[in-house]
Amino acid sequence: MILYIGRRLLGVIGVLIAIAAVTFTIFYVLPSDPAAAACGKSCSTERLTAIRAHMGLDQPLWRQFADFVTGIFTGRTVGSGQYALHCDFPCLGYSYENSQAVWDLLMDRLPVSASLALGAAVLWLLLGLTAGVTAALHKDTLTDRALMVGAVAAASLPVYFTSMMLIYGLIRVAGLLPYPQYVPFGHDPLDWASNLLLPWLALAVLYAAMYARQSRNSMIETMAEPYIRTARAKGLPRRTVVVKHGLRAGMTPILTLFGMDLGGLLAGAVITESIFGLPGIGRLFYGALSTGDQPVILGVTLLAAAFIVVANLAVDLLYAVVDPRVRY
Amino acid sequence: MTTITPPAAGVPSGSGPWRLARTELGRRASVRISLLVVALFLLMAAGAPLLSSLAGWTPEEFDKSAVDPYLGGQPLGPLGGISADHWLGVEPVTGRDLFARVVHGAQVSLLIALTATAIVVVAGTAAGIAAGYFGGRTDTVLSRLMDLTMSFPSLIFMIAMMSVAKDVNRIVLMTAVIGLFGWPGIARVVRGQTLSLKHREYVDAARVSGSGPWRILTRDILPGVLGPVIAYTTLIIPGMIATEAALSYLGVGVRPPTPSWGQMIAESVAFYDTDPMYFVIPSTCLFLTVLAFTLLGDALRDVLDPRSGRA
Amino acid sequence: MNKRTCTALAAVLAAPLALGAAGCSGGKQAGGDGRNGKNPAVAGEGSVIGGTPQKGGTLTVLSNQDFTHLDPARNWVMSEMDFGTRLLYRTLVTYKSAPGTPGNQLVPDLATDLGTSSNGARTWTFHLKKGVQYEDGSPVTARDVKYNVERSFSPDLPGGADYAARYLSGVEGYRGPAQGKHLDSVRTPDDHTIVFELNKPFAEFPSATVMPTFAPVPQGQDKGPRYDNRPFSSGPYKIDSYDRGKKLVLVRNDKWDPKTDEVRKAHPDKLVVLMGLKANQIDDRMIASQGADASAVPWYALRPESAAKVLPRAEVRKRLLAESQNCTDMVQMHTGRAPFDNVKVRRAVQYALDRDAVLTASGGPAFNDPSTAYMPAALFGGRQPDTLKIPATGDVEKAKQLLKEAGKQDGFSTKITVSSGDKGRAEAIQQSLAKAGIKVTIETVDPSAFYATIGDTKNRTDMVYTGWCPDYPSGSTFLPFVFDGRFIKEKGNSGNHSLFRDTATMKRMDEIAAMTDAKQAGRAWQRLDGDILAKAPAVPVLIRRWPLVLGTNIAGAYGHTSFGGQIDYATVGLKDPAKSQG
Repeated sequence: MILYIGRRLLGVIGVLIAIAAVTFTIFYVLPSDPAAAACGKSCSTERLTAIRAHMGLDQPLWRQFADFVTGIFTGRTVGSGQYALHCDFPCLGYSYENSQAVWDLLMDRLPVSASLALGAAVLWLLLGLTAGVTAALHKDTLTDRALMVGAVAAASLPVYFTSMMLIYGLIRVAGLLPYPQYVPFGHDPLDWASNLLLPWLALAVLYAAMYARQSRNSMIETMAEPYIRTARAKGLPRRTVVVKHGLRAGMTPILTLFGMDLGGLLAGAVITESIFGLPGIGRLFYGALSTGDQPVILGVTLLAAAFIVVANLAVDLLYAVVDPRVRY
Repeated sequence: MTTITPPAAGVPSGSGPWRLARTELGRRASVRISLLVVALFLLMAAGAPLLSSLAGWTPEEFDKSAVDPYLGGQPLGPLGGISADHWLGVEPVTGRDLFARVVHGAQVSLLIALTATAIVVVAGTAAGIAAGYFGGRTDTVLSRLMDLTMSFPSLIFMIAMMSVAKDVNRIVLMTAVIGLFGWPGIARVVRGQTLSLKHREYVDAARVSGSGPWRILTRDILPGVLGPVIAYTTLIIPGMIATEAALSYLGVGVRPPTPSWGQMIAESVAFYDTDPMYFVIPSTCLFLTVLAFTLLGDALRDVLDPRSGRA
Repeated sequence: MNKRTCTALAAVLAAPLALGAAGCSGGKQAGGDGRNGKNPAVAGEGSVIGGTPQKGGTLTVLSNQDFTHLDPARNWVMSEMDFGTRLLYRTLVTYKSAPGTPGNQLVPDLATDLGTSSNGARTWTFHLKKGVQYEDGSPVTARDVKYNVERSFSPDLPGGADYAARYLSGVEGYRGPAQGKHLDSVRTPDDHTIVFELNKPFAEFPSATVMPTFAPVPQGQDKGPRYDNRPFSSGPYKIDSYDRGKKLVLVRNDKWDPKTDEVRKAHPDKLVVLMGLKANQIDDRMIASQGADASAVPWYALRPESAAKVLPRAEVRKRLLAESQNCTDMVQMHTGRAPFDNVKVRRAVQYALDRDAVLTASGGPAFNDPSTAYMPAALFGGRQPDTLKIPATGDVEKAKQLLKEAGKQDGFSTKITVSSGDKGRAEAIQQSLAKAGIKVTIETVDPSAFYATIGDTKNRTDMVYTGWCPDYPSGSTFLPFVFDGRFIKEKGNSGNHSLFRDTATMKRMDEIAAMTDAKQAGRAWQRLDGDILAKAPAVPVLIRRWPLVLGTNIAGAYGHTSFGGQIDYATVGLKDPAKSQG
């Protein structure tokens, strides 16, 4: 088991370095010149050269990459003399735009994206699993049909549409909720939740539908298994059978799905954050892209990849807990 | 990374099961309606130039008489300027005909989505069969590649790649970029399927009787994986359409004045309360298409690949 | 400033859905000189909205973005220069705080007067007021002003105005003060005197000293690039907290002495800038103006899409500011390459272009004025001349005629590069030029890459859509930047994107620059503007306004003409401070 985890962690690092290399190459051919962008409206050639050198952009690509990768572990110093900036492990460099350490920027935005993702996840799991299990237990009845058609329709709604309708209905017309504006959880949990409720709903509608369909299918399969029938025959209450036996065994595919979705979302729901104006990682990325802020772009990409890889690892390990048949 | 590979579907080649599937599909109302919707939009996309010329407008033509410059270019008349002249009203500010733009938008959106799907399916199936059938080092390399590709934060990467490229055909690029990140999903399904088919008696028989690997792959394995592939294909099309829309929404999609549904939705979000029709029309098209493909895919999966509910 | 309007407008406003507007957008040009109606958006032009503010309360600013740079050495965006110099730091000289054209007047700020020149306007001396303090109570000295001028040369601190580099003598190869090197051409004989030695006579040097480059930064506080996150205050407010991209809180700097300051009124006790909000939500919140939003102002201009929610409603309209930005949007053509090396082809574009359509794409005549000359109205004493008399909707026949004379009767294909925000305007240009047979492909580029892309003179497209704003009200900050062929660079070219090299024009520019009589020079620039227009290196398209809907509790607000129409942060405050929320 420990050996397995160790091997997987090594793989994670390899994957991250590969992703960093690809990102680096892509942005090397980017037409935007961060030095020229920083230099401003009227920029002399001499000043441009100086700025480029300061940003380290005069180095060959492999050199910049090597500096970046070693810098993550050993820390880096940017600039010189009185203006030198130094960052320690984990050093992802400094934003061209506002000279803040990329790591600090990411950690500053992460609570927003994490709040968004986790809140939405709770909501969609609740909605999705309830709908899915209900449908499965009433297989081929009107309830089942209605729930499933509803789920497919909800999943097909463009997220922009759902979001704008929510904004219009709940904020503009009903005046029930404020325009979403991030309030840290520690600051005021109630405010935090009421501000995030709309984005949660918008995301949850989209994902809940998928989970409803998935959980219905696996529930139906599991409930047909002999051991469930045995349990029922033994006279166990239906509730116990469904929750303790059916749901647990049906969890495996849901877990896979959940791991991938959550991993992807933690690093920012670009569209949702942009629709609701939430200062999360997706927003940070989008902003960095339009200003050509390469260190931030690279940082977000790496963080997002790390979440996905780690989530997959976690899911694989959880299998062992959920499904007694899996052993490493 | 482990995946739950679908158990063998056991769809041998031959006309019998296929005919069975067709009858089974024809019995469902949802399938008939979805097929109708899909066909309608495909026809609309194919006949876009003809349709818009019937309506009398090209998608790029401005109509200044249809908007009010003093109100930020709001369409004149109710319901976003719907009239005999403009069947679905006009775009605010420019006065471009919405009908012409929606049908041309269908062309672009569906073209991108379907081509990207084709790339994904062909590449994914080929990789999956190769990995599953040859095993060993081929399998290791391909599986690693799948793992790596799946570890990429795909939307973020697509946005980045789209914004990097400049002097290229946006439609081709978008298709390629969407396709690039889509193939591992289907490759895994096919790989699992191939693994289970590889040691079936009829495949062994073919091998013993001296058939080359190419012949076995195309004659024995491919038909065996075809069912799940078809079901999977229909199911990923909505995702492709949504991805095109998402990229265009974020401003890295097609270039103006080319319309696509995503681009239209992106522009119309700003008018969702002042000119709701402008927002509702492309959103509805997107919704209906995605819904129809999803229902169709569900039905196909139930029929062609009944046990892979968890793929 | 002139109020451009359209006769049909009054009818439109009386009945917003009436078809009357069609008469306006049709053949008759919307940007004409009808004098009967009034542009609804500019009713508040030149006047103050909300009366006199009370002291105290919290003013909220709703913004969709973060500041580019608040570091005075790097701050070179109109609105941000307003915010920085009106609230956080003082400059040698600044603009008067007044609505309308008086806002163009210079008044001393840190300095006791507008500077004295000697040596034929090559040497400029400023004396600093005594008793001006930073937020920690230490005195502002001449050395600190010099130090910040030096900082503006540092490659670690890019982005700022380059007037110091352009006019100071002996700056070749200078890389800022970080390595302990200092400039000899700026002298500080004592704590309250600063002397600048220029490389050529420059009568308007005091106008340049309104730039944040000439604000003080004490060496002990300089943290290089990180200074951007916490500029040290010499103004009426200091930074309480600055969470980049999210929130900036300013509180009173009690060391600021109003007796030394005739410009800043500092009404609110506190300013809170909320950043990263959605532009459409800001518009909706400002229009609704409920709760704390009543004491709020928007940072960025109203989106054209929201015009329909503002203009028909008298209650909202009276809270609308729409001062001109005084920047001219132009289509610049590559005069060094075929087909635009032919003046007939360029004139054909001038005639084919439907400014009216671009105007609509830009938010309509309420938020834009069509431009008939290169320099904005402010440099023409309030009104642009119309020397070419081209109808606002263009003259396609005349354009075709000109193309025929140029041997291009079958039209031609070309490309235009625009910043992604100008996509709608570009589509209008594309559509109108197509009518004359000119097929235009649009290349949209991210704002970050835009100047680098069009500054690459070899690889750029033949047309570009850009604007130019005078840094201060003088023709010398406009025409030489845009049309002097000697400033063309192969890479990083700026301003002269027509690559216009005209000997007569350049000669005339030198003559005007040498004039000592400002009035005479002003008239000469105006005539030169018309001469260049006839040679058609570029098509002037429009001049944008800066529409802002203010909260109902806002007082003392007007768009400042010298800060691109942004609210003058020196005077804005609240009607009833008790209604604001901390």
